[in-house]
Amino acid sequence: MESEGAHLRDRLLELMGGGGAEVQAEAEAEVEAEVEALALGILRYQARANPVYGTLLRNRGLDPEALDHWTRFPPVPARAFRDASPYIEGVGAGPPEAVFHTSGTTGAPGVHRVRDLSLYHGSLLPPARRHLGLHELAAGRERGGAKESGTTRVLALLPPPDVHPTSSLAHMAGVLVRRFDDGGGGFLLSADWHLDVAAVAEALARARADGVPVLLLATAFALVHWLDLSRAEEWTGIRLPPGSRIMETGGYKGRSREVERPVLYHALSATLGVPPERIVNEYGMTEMLSQFYEPVLEEGGPSDPSIRRHLGPRWVRTRVLDPVTLEPVPQGQPGLLCHLDLANLYSAALLLTEDLGVAVPGPTPRHAPGFRVLGRGPGAIPRGCSLSLEDWMRATR
Amino acid sequence: MTAQSASLPLPEDLVPCILPPELVARASTPEPAEAAAVEGRAVTVARLLDHLAGPGVEALRSLGFRTRLQLLARAGERFLDPEDPLRLEALERLPEESGLSPRGALELVDGMARDWTLDRLATALRSDFPDPDVLDGFRPGVRGDRLRVVPPRLLVQVGAGNVPGTGATALLRGLLVGAPTLLKPGAGDRVLPELLARALQAESEALARGLAVVGWRGGEGGELERSALRRADRVVVYGGEEAVAAARALTGPLTPVVVYGPRVSFGLVLADATSADGVLDDAAAAVSAYEQRGCVSPHLVWVQPGGTRSPKAWAEALASALAHHAGTMPSASAPVHEMRVLREAAEFRAAAGGGDRVWGGPGAGWMVLFEDEVKGQPLRPFEPSCLGRTVRVRPLPDPAELASLLAPVRHLIQSAAVEGAEPGRTTTALLLAQAGVTRVTTFRDQPWPPSWWRHDGQGPLAALVQWVTLEPADRAGPK
Repeated sequence: MESEGAHLRDRLLELMGGGGAEVQAEAEAEVEAEVEALALGILRYQARANPVYGTLLRNRGLDPEALDHWTRFPPVPARAFRDASPYIEGVGAGPPEAVFHTSGTTGAPGVHRVRDLSLYHGSLLPPARRHLGLHELAAGRERGGAKESGTTRVLALLPPPDVHPTSSLAHMAGVLVRRFDDGGGGFLLSADWHLDVAAVAEALARARADGVPVLLLATAFALVHWLDLSRAEEWTGIRLPPGSRIMETGGYKGRSREVERPVLYHALSATLGVPPERIVNEYGMTEMLSQFYEPVLEEGGPSDPSIRRHLGPRWVRTRVLDPVTLEPVPQGQPGLLCHLDLANLYSAALLLTEDLGVAVPGPTPRHAPGFRVLGRGPGAIPRGCSLSLEDWMRATR
Repeated sequence: MTAQSASLPLPEDLVPCILPPELVARASTPEPAEAAAVEGRAVTVARLLDHLAGPGVEALRSLGFRTRLQLLARAGERFLDPEDPLRLEALERLPEESGLSPRGALELVDGMARDWTLDRLATALRSDFPDPDVLDGFRPGVRGDRLRVVPPRLLVQVGAGNVPGTGATALLRGLLVGAPTLLKPGAGDRVLPELLARALQAESEALARGLAVVGWRGGEGGELERSALRRADRVVVYGGEEAVAAARALTGPLTPVVVYGPRVSFGLVLADATSADGVLDDAAAAVSAYEQRGCVSPHLVWVQPGGTRSPKAWAEALASALAHHAGTMPSASAPVHEMRVLREAAEFRAAAGGGDRVWGGPGAGWMVLFEDEVKGQPLRPFEPSCLGRTVRVRPLPDPAELASLLAPVRHLIQSAAVEGAEPGRTTTALLLAQAGVTRVTTFRDQPWPPSWWRHDGQGPLAALVQWVTLEPADRAGPK
């Protein structure tokens, strides 16, 4: 079983390393076939190697060897990472290479034990290059008429990963800083998440003086908080060098006033001179090692965030499921997002999230379809004077 | 409030918009066909508030509490008369406007209106004012003091949430103590306040002078919302954190605000009550009432082991009772996506070796999650369900543990249905009282608190008024 896992891992790393978006048409079919085969292989492997997942299948009368497609396997609920975190331990292996905690927005924090960080880094880099413009920068191409220097200043409105080793977001930012920063960037929040407005302004001014395009990484919460503080201190903003972009991620986690994305993007644009179509939302979850991005840099927009879609890398598949039947909903209908993430080889590759979403076609047939996250609340269900789970978490925080 | 902004007419899109008839009559044109069209429009915010706080106060005071009580009860009792057109209209409109099944609407109207009768309203009054004559004049107090109560000159009540009927009861409470009331019903609770207001108007011109029921979206009431809250002598707000904060922000800084925030409830079945089938049926009905949206609706039931039914067997029997209940009263709206999430997580925990079991699910319109204790681990504190007739059942060997299980949420806990024989039930109630519970009841009564209940721990009528003490001029003895 151990060698089976190792074999799957090697195939996966090969798939991840096989380039970004530029796959030729004939190769595309091959890649597709490999993903399908790997998906089935990995889920069967997990059914054998992870006794909990095996029992879940057995409890439902399912024989993993008899299931002929990955879509027939039951997904593992993301919430399971709180109760009995899925993990396949290696024979004679040491402790996990990383242990990430969820932020606990809806209850006790979940735990994702990452046995093999090379799978995380392998899944992280290709989509980051593609969707954060890091790939083009390295190649020194022209984009939008602005000559880019080929280097990037990576500034993260996050605390450094070494003081927050259980934050997958800080870890990811750490990888991006290490790989792509020109040496002038880094982490702008203190270990206790304190934000020094003057220090941020200084870092941005330095990037501008150096003429190096910036990649600003931040949670939506940190951006709102930073804009509020900057306004209070009457800091009027700065125009970042052409080619700069912002990666915005995460919800607000109830910690700051909530601001609609178009409003936030407009404010960021006005403060930093980064047009809204260069502000990219990253949607990730601690429970899965791969990330989704809005392909706005690659496709040149749209600038309106409410009509965008998210795309995953080629080793990820997303289905929108009817909550009642767990069957796919008709195209365009909302449902629960269910992700297949092969990078979760040693935890749970098929995940049922708590997020509602809707499938969204690409702007043209040659653009890959994606999905849009609609949030967590069912919205239309009246709540009465009882508490919703979200209210509950806020009230008991 | 500036004179200019308060002179703005009421917005046209207020639903409902029940105003004192004199205002509407004066604003109307002579043509009856056009009268309805201008209703509300020519009434300014200032005129409405002036009217309530002026002629409204006088009209309600002139009735005296006994007459008010009788008039309110006559209007309320109409909703129990199977032939009454207002009751029929309520039953017709509630399913669509409040997301209830027709059967649920029937249960709701019966359950609510049961408390709008003369006997029940009088009991509510006596519960808060053992000598109700204090409402009309000075009455003897202790040591020669004399006491009376004075209602606010303008009571503004902001309904929120969607438990239909709370707004109507709020309106009755205000008028009962003689407070001219402007009620803004919650978005999903417009039918009963509107129909009750119509019944009250039909019953008495004087009552009609002291009430207005006007709907707007929370925070979007414009000048009416701002002026009403700024001018109110007392404000009652039902709703979540944000609704309460928004109303407080508009209310005068020294104005008393009575808050009925979101609450959660639970049940406890002591070992000696696990055998009772009636308890199971009552528990299923309590979970199902108002689609579990009430603050009184149970989210979790702790079951003490050692009885005829084990906690797991009790959970399974509750599942059968809920299935049976759903057969006669199908669920009208279920949070299917949250139910799915909880169900899948429960199945995963079961696969991980826990004793968890789950019955029902998003397709069934009800769900029971049996969450077994994990050996060697402390019991988990209270957790809410996702509603939609979803209830957690957990074993609880020692009810004394409730103090710690409820500790993190003592400010949110409300009703506890405790089933069991004495003295266990009273012993448990003492514990629960310390843990923040304000009402210990049974599953049978849990969804339908009586009109005289201490709402979230305080007398709901007493919360509306101000006491005045008249001290004797010739008090004897040392000070």
